[in-house]
Amino acid sequence: MSTEHQDKATDGKAIRALIRAGAYEEALRAMCAMAHPRGDFRSQSRLAKLYRKIPSGALGLQPLKVALIGTSTVDHVADSLRFWLATEGFDAPLFVSEFDTLEQTILDPSSALYRFEPELVWLLTSGRDVSLAADFADTDPMAAVAAAVEGTVSLWKALQSNHNCFIIQNNADLPPRRPLGNYEGSVAWSGLNLMRRYNLALAEAAGPGVAILDLEYLASQVGRDQWDDPRWWFHSKHAFSVEATAVVAHAACKLIASVRGRAKKCLVLDLDNTLWGGVIGDDGVDGIRLGEGDAEGEAFVAFQRHVLALKSRGIVLAVCSKNEEEAATIPFEQHPEMVLDLEDIAVFKANWVDKATNIRDIAAALNIGLDSIVFVDDNPVERALVRSELPMVAVPEIPPDPARYIRCLEEQGYFETTAFSDDDRKRAAAYRANAQRATASTSFADLGAFLTSLEMKSSFGPLDEFHLPRFVQLLNKSNQFHLTTTRYNEGQVRGFMNDPSRRCLYFRLEDRFGDNGLISVLVLDLPEPGGDLVIDTWAMSCRVLARGMEDFIAGSVLALARNHGAKRVVGRYIPSPKNKLVRLLYERLSFEQTEDRDGTTSWSLDVNTAPAYDTHILPLPTDNPGGPQDQTE
Amino acid sequence: MSDREAEIRARLTAIFHDVFDDDEIVLTDEMTAADVEDWDSLSHITLVVICEKEFGVRLAPAEVGQLENVGAMIRLLVERAKS
Repeated sequence: MSTEHQDKATDGKAIRALIRAGAYEEALRAMCAMAHPRGDFRSQSRLAKLYRKIPSGALGLQPLKVALIGTSTVDHVADSLRFWLATEGFDAPLFVSEFDTLEQTILDPSSALYRFEPELVWLLTSGRDVSLAADFADTDPMAAVAAAVEGTVSLWKALQSNHNCFIIQNNADLPPRRPLGNYEGSVAWSGLNLMRRYNLALAEAAGPGVAILDLEYLASQVGRDQWDDPRWWFHSKHAFSVEATAVVAHAACKLIASVRGRAKKCLVLDLDNTLWGGVIGDDGVDGIRLGEGDAEGEAFVAFQRHVLALKSRGIVLAVCSKNEEEAATIPFEQHPEMVLDLEDIAVFKANWVDKATNIRDIAAALNIGLDSIVFVDDNPVERALVRSELPMVAVPEIPPDPARYIRCLEEQGYFETTAFSDDDRKRAAAYRANAQRATASTSFADLGAFLTSLEMKSSFGPLDEFHLPRFVQLLNKSNQFHLTTTRYNEGQVRGFMNDPSRRCLYFRLEDRFGDNGLISVLVLDLPEPGGDLVIDTWAMSCRVLARGMEDFIAGSVLALARNHGAKRVVGRYIPSPKNKLVRLLYERLSFEQTEDRDGTTSWSLDVNTAPAYDTHILPLPTDNPGGPQDQTE
Repeated sequence: MSDREAEIRARLTAIFHDVFDDDEIVLTDEMTAADVEDWDSLSHITLVVICEKEFGVRLAPAEVGQLENVGAMIRLLVERAKS
């Protein structure tokens, strides 16, 4: 037996002992430390098995209903998915459909699937399910592709009309056979290329509420020789090699986590031997290895390019380095081959304070949770320190060779997303401006003067098509400033938009440092005259905390209530592990508490005695498509 | 029992402990799926896939079907194991 297996076996025994002793959380932490998405099948199946020993509900994880509908044997995947979801904080009692009953399960509105009421449905199909045309049949191949996509889309529609849920759809892994050999890649109509077309057409067909799990990418990542194991198809209908189970389950898990707002938001980077080779304080700007002509130097440039791409798609960058600040900034300012610019870094910490403290400060300056941070450092001691001090921070085990840094990050799937909006593009800049505002605030004696100096302007209004994607995203991503942690998917929100008794309100905020984009969302029940205006849902981005935006919003809601002849505005606070921040928000806004049930509190504000909310924010007419209808309400 | 057989038996025992999460399992030649809690078709596949990797063998589906007795499993591995 290899030593690797012996080590793992020892870990397995220790975890089993923890589970027997009832130390479930410690057991899960140990399992998380052992788990790697590319770990071998033996350790993956052991982890899944160990996790099953923990009594359901014992960990206090967030419940999440996921349904797996497969056209092959999916039990191994289900087992592995349950474990991986636990590492993301979810307790997922999976619904697994009977073997090969995909269409029946979806099309029958009374099927067990709908009784289960899943939040997410994963259609675990493969290339084997996509029949495009018989080999060399004299039919129109493009029509066959269109028909196959149409078939899949009609299942999505049926699913969504029977039950409101988010859909994850596998695309097709390419067939392992090429009757024409290499020529299949040389003509557009071959079986191989038609399957590629199917995947493209499927991506084009997938609208909001549907995410494609790129099974074809996973197949190529595992390697087609390893991925394809027809023995297990013939023996027990496994669509791909049993050993690839965890790769697929992990990818689905990361997608699901991102739908539920658990994707990482910020990358904290060390400098020496992480962004360049060598030590800037010792080697000087001419001595560090970075750039063309040196294999290591080129690898660091490639890594920086990848980091910059992450920044461009909205991941916030920060630096945390043991260095003199003056020395640490020199490569950014002077090295000609440095890809990253100081402007790209939202918070720059170069000092001799321990890194856990610095990372806490970074999280505070950016107003984000520690659990949305990934920390990359070549030094195993620093990694160990941060892991033990801040277990909620993700700390990948970066390999010694910088050429492998990108792959190491990629494998973990930290930054998955199922949508990409303009606001994502601008987010990194907004966070940086935020950190600058935090610095600016220290130079003002009086908070009012500081807030005035920000020159804040807010546009707001009833939700329109233009703001819908970001509205749904914020509603489902916010944890801290979210009074009720209610989650609504796009279909539900669209329903509210068409419901005259409901009102969805969005708020944007800009200031002299930049446009923060859409930063708050509310779902309101409009009142009968003399009745209550109910704040069903209120979430806000923590980026704009402590700026008086809450007061501005409360004032707007109050005005709306008055215009509809309401007597009161009422709202609720439902505690979650993450929303303590707003426990007393309504109290601060002069609401009176009317009920307290196990921490869930109800609040009411009399329209006649409500205060005039004092803010430093100017209302701004909207100039977006869907425009400024009833701004003045 | 040859040294080779004893060694394979020991490695297989460790795999059984892993797969069925039970360190008390002692392998006997007559042992079948009925004797081990959780030895269902699913964990049988897990067992076979892990053995293939551990012993560097590849098994045909027909052979997989015949492997429900531990003695048969050990005989096959003694004959075919590459490592």
